[in-house]
Amino acid sequence: MSHYSGNIDDFGMDTISLAGPLEAKLKAVRSAGFSQIMLAAKDIVGHPDGMEAAVAAVRASGLRVTGFQVLRDFEGLSGHLHDYKIDIAKSMLDMCHALDCRLLLVCSSTSVHATDETAALVKDLRKLAMLAIPMNIKIAYEALSWGRVINEFPQAWDIICQADMPNLGLGFDSYHMFATNTSLDELDILDPDKIFLVQLADFMWTEIKSVEERIATARHFRVFPGEGVHSEALATLVTRLHGLGYRGDYSFEVFNDDYQQMPLPAVAERAWRSALWLGEDVLRRSVPLPNQMRLKR
Amino acid sequence: MSTATQAATVDREAIPEVANPLGLDGIEFIEYTTAKPQALGQVLEMMGFRPVARHRSREVMLYRQGGMNVIVNAHVPAMPDGAAPTDKPVIAAIALRVRDAAEAYHRALERGAWAVPSRVEVMELNIPAIHGVGKSRIYFVDRYETFSIYDVDFVPIPTVEPRPPAVAGLHFFGVVQYIGNDRTEDWAEFYRELFGFTDLPDDQRFGILPKGRILRSPCPASSRFYLQLIEPEASVLDVEGDEALQRVGLGSPDVLASVAELSKRGVEFVESRGVHTEDRGALTRTWMGSVSFELVHNER
Repeated sequence: MSHYSGNIDDFGMDTISLAGPLEAKLKAVRSAGFSQIMLAAKDIVGHPDGMEAAVAAVRASGLRVTGFQVLRDFEGLSGHLHDYKIDIAKSMLDMCHALDCRLLLVCSSTSVHATDETAALVKDLRKLAMLAIPMNIKIAYEALSWGRVINEFPQAWDIICQADMPNLGLGFDSYHMFATNTSLDELDILDPDKIFLVQLADFMWTEIKSVEERIATARHFRVFPGEGVHSEALATLVTRLHGLGYRGDYSFEVFNDDYQQMPLPAVAERAWRSALWLGEDVLRRSVPLPNQMRLKR
Repeated sequence: MSTATQAATVDREAIPEVANPLGLDGIEFIEYTTAKPQALGQVLEMMGFRPVARHRSREVMLYRQGGMNVIVNAHVPAMPDGAAPTDKPVIAAIALRVRDAAEAYHRALERGAWAVPSRVEVMELNIPAIHGVGKSRIYFVDRYETFSIYDVDFVPIPTVEPRPPAVAGLHFFGVVQYIGNDRTEDWAEFYRELFGFTDLPDDQRFGILPKGRILRSPCPASSRFYLQLIEPEASVLDVEGDEALQRVGLGSPDVLASVAELSKRGVEFVESRGVHTEDRGALTRTWMGSVSFELVHNER
């Protein structure tokens, strides 16, 4: 590896930050020095040579799959809508399994057809987690900041606790937390072993005035941690999560229209700088000894 | 009793809804798949099973002793993914006796089980099944008292005693399942939610191989069986892909007598520093690279 190698194996990129075909994204991420990547369903189903070719490309890349995204508007539906979404969920789980990926990301429902009854949301998430058990997949449930019922992480956490499934935990996205101005002190209620994924992103403006602007910013104007105006808050967040005992993966969930029209290595280079900043300046990790073994839990 | 009083009782005691939600009543059969059915048949006969019937349309045999049924499936494709059976026998299915198979099946699907599409031929029974560990299936059977499922799908082998007695009181005691790292809670939840299994306290163990988590079925005592979940040794780094049903446990009222009887039939038992035959249990050698049986002291 030509790059200076930091102690940042737990940071990864997301294919949604990059333009172009899957193979080019995998290569750019690998070349930048990362060891893992977050994949989206369209990376797999949209491959010109089919799903098997996409899976083979991912395996050949040597990158670990951080997680697979994203199941939307799943919980709280009834009747034929529920049955339909169960089929979608099964299809997502099948793809996740084919990739040897151990994590499926689910974001809270925005659907006006879904109920707001907690018991129904809990029951549906239990069922989803049960579907995932035989495949050894964990479900990370994330509070989308424009979710209709669940839109802040403490609410998602409450549902997760009530569902009480060993493979159901929290998907935490810094963007949504900043967008809703949720207090960092709320982090203290979390059990670090039940945070299954942390997604990080910065953005360029300090205030988001409406839900519409929140959605537009999330989908088009995110930047890598350290590139926006929330660097200090991100640093605090990562430090707090580490202090809480979180030792899982950090993935850069950066949707950005400009990055979609930049050469892939240039985008991956920005991500790498961001990872180094977090790993070395913020978390102040030392560089690992050569040939150090990292044991699984 | 008024509703208010009932609610108060629930507040104070948390009495579980139903202890045995499916009316689970033991194991109806265990199914192996293998490309070498004769060789496995010899092993089963040594263990006291007798071939009693063959399937109407497929290369499938039914072996029996006492209340235990074992199915040997050499049909292609035997596995749900359409794969052919391998030489090494695999425990491919457990059939559970339940009060109402259709109800049990729909209840399981409602709670997040995966349905196995059935491949029924003309005039054969459609036995509902869900996916279990690895490629295995879990069947639900409710016709075990008035008439038997084998009467429909199987043809008896002529001149053979259809109900051979069990050797030395052997009966199904349980199944050992190998699981991945950190997977005990997942699988315990799977069996709890779908079937009503409960965890056995860590100080309560049977037999001579006490490792892992033991789950007790909610069946009545006369048909109760256990599942044992075993994670890899802590020193083993990467075997996570290997999850499967590993071996069948047979209950015996007198392990030493059963061992003596089976030894006469040619069965060898493991004698090593870690594992050896005693009152509590015994372990047979492994045949065909994958088949072994564990004997466990159990009165029934």
